[in-house]
Amino acid sequence: MLIGAIVAGVVFGLYFTLVGLGLNLVFGVMRIVNLAHGDFVMLGGYAAWWLLSAFGIHPLVAAVIVLVVFVALGMPLYYLIVPQLQRARDSEMLSLILFFGLSQMIEAVATIFLGTTERSLPGRVLGIGPIIVLGARLPKPWVFSAAVSAVAVAAVYVYLYRTRLGTLTRAVMVSRDEALATGIDVHRVSAIAFGISLALAGIAGVFAPFMLGSITPDIGVGLNITAFAVIVVGTLGNPLGTVVGGIVYGVSLMLMQTYFSSWANLLPNLLLIAVLLVRPEGLFGRQVRRA
Amino acid sequence: MRLRRGVLAALALLATTMGGLAARAAPAPAEIKIGTLYASSGPFASISMPVFDGIKLWVQQVNARGGVYVKPFHKKIPIKLVAYDDQSSTATAATLYNQLITQDHVNLLLSDSGSVLTSVAVPIAKEHKMFLFDVSGTGGTFFTKDNPYIGLMAIPVSTIWPKAISDFLDDVGVKHGIKTVAILYATNDFTGTQASALKGFLEKDGKVKIVYDQGVPTSTSNYTVLINNIAATKPDAVAELGFPGNDIAFLRNLQDSGEKFRFVFTIYGGAEMDEVLKNAGAAAMKDTFSYVPSALYQYKVNFGPTLPQYHAAWEKAYPKGAGVEWGSNAVYGYMTGLVIQRALATTSGMSQLDLHHAVFALSGKLKTLDGPFELNGEGAQVGELTPIGQLQPNAKGGLDLVSVYPPQFAHGKAVFGK
Repeated sequence: MLIGAIVAGVVFGLYFTLVGLGLNLVFGVMRIVNLAHGDFVMLGGYAAWWLLSAFGIHPLVAAVIVLVVFVALGMPLYYLIVPQLQRARDSEMLSLILFFGLSQMIEAVATIFLGTTERSLPGRVLGIGPIIVLGARLPKPWVFSAAVSAVAVAAVYVYLYRTRLGTLTRAVMVSRDEALATGIDVHRVSAIAFGISLALAGIAGVFAPFMLGSITPDIGVGLNITAFAVIVVGTLGNPLGTVVGGIVYGVSLMLMQTYFSSWANLLPNLLLIAVLLVRPEGLFGRQVRRA
Repeated sequence: MRLRRGVLAALALLATTMGGLAARAAPAPAEIKIGTLYASSGPFASISMPVFDGIKLWVQQVNARGGVYVKPFHKKIPIKLVAYDDQSSTATAATLYNQLITQDHVNLLLSDSGSVLTSVAVPIAKEHKMFLFDVSGTGGTFFTKDNPYIGLMAIPVSTIWPKAISDFLDDVGVKHGIKTVAILYATNDFTGTQASALKGFLEKDGKVKIVYDQGVPTSTSNYTVLINNIAATKPDAVAELGFPGNDIAFLRNLQDSGEKFRFVFTIYGGAEMDEVLKNAGAAAMKDTFSYVPSALYQYKVNFGPTLPQYHAAWEKAYPKGAGVEWGSNAVYGYMTGLVIQRALATTSGMSQLDLHHAVFALSGKLKTLDGPFELNGEGAQVGELTPIGQLQPNAKGGLDLVSVYPPQFAHGKAVFGK
């Protein structure tokens, strides 16, 4: 049972890496907390459901469509909200309030138009049946989702460390003011990062029906809490630390389900408290500050 | 002395008569206010919104006929539904129940769907001496001898539901080699009470051994590791007791895991069959067992529409794709309306204790599309039944919920996996 729980936890955690990755990217670049991040995950899930039920589009194709559409939506949304936020004296705190409002609005509108019933995608589209890893029986959709997550992490790595835009993005992450002083178009760099962040949330949403069983308009809040725990563990502002955060969360959850199942939903909060008390900078704190 | 007593008696009689005349002379209100809550979002939205839509449909039908007949005023009076959104939050619900009683001064109080959102209404209604029409809050602790201000309308109290599972496993399962069972449940008033009751029945009978017994948070959305852990205990039967979201995730993960158990039971596979089927798929639900809800079993009625008549009215009011699925909760809300309708037509007055007496007087006499209505002395529903059904393949390639137990309600035979 122990090995099975650990293997399943790693795979499940990789999915939550994808959920948290965009949230961490936005915090790293803009120093704002997008509390509506989970709602964009939810919207990605509904987009995949709609594309499959209305046009028969496979979720993997849907993921590509969602990526393009969410980047396109994210950039104007950035210009609409973030520059004004950053002019405020306490932009981090203000961002919490503003994005919480946005989250509530998205959930309310989704409820009005989509209703409250559960929606899902049929398991057969990603394959039914287990994949056995070290004796643990893992659902095929979990392995698909983990693989997509790994691809997304690799893509973010390439973007940050192998492209000129990525170099500029890291410059903004280190010091926004110095980046401005050296002539970097900070708003353009940030808008692209914001668009990528929403796209990552949207792609995570495409796989949410497979990982969570089904989706409803209110899943955003719970996903936000989990994503926040994942990125705090992996270090706020360090997108690649999110991988470790996700795996720590996934393995801890599966161990809790195995040995203390009734208490499993306390886990994100316990992790948050533990990390903030013991190592507030997260597991990779030093690396972030020097990014 | 005798004269003085006589004068006092005459005065008392006069006062009583005048009081009675005053009551009779009280003008009829312009409307009967019914207060309730609903959850448009959150974990209980999927069981709350069908109940609320059922109540709205009943109000709409009654008002279209000029209102509800209220015996103390000898006339029909329109109903005004006062409803607030508690968003599945017990804290919000507590505030709003108080608001319905103290600010809106509703005449009748209905709780939101399910035990969790009803749990906060029970003490508030008791404190304000307001009779609570408990639609589907089945927690066993809600019903006590010292509280006359509650009556469970639409489904049996949680403590008696699992008797059918236990009896079925003991009577039928054992003959087919079912010797061990795993129980996995969501830790809330509704399913937690059922799990506890099921364990009690099974342990008392001693025919089927419990080899796994774990609770999980109601928010649980992945069961892969839990299913692996259950499989490690090699049970013949698995009872997963959760809300619709739990059942969907469990059935999907069970199918993905490739694990097979000879008997798999979920609550909402039958109770909200359309919704679970839509999300989990027929392959994941095939041959699983569930309770047969009133939405899928036609009872003889002596008041209100039959099940097909109501289903047709529901489909007309809420076409498919409107966001709320037909299911047992759709029946519960409407059925509560029927109890209110009968109670107002027979009550001797409009006080909350008069309403209590009127509702309890219907016990054992009223038969609606939800089955026989019967309350015990504490207000818990004991009349409506929970037969066991199995989702068996039909000729069209879909699934039918076939009632298999108890024998008097059976339409088919149970098929156990290998």
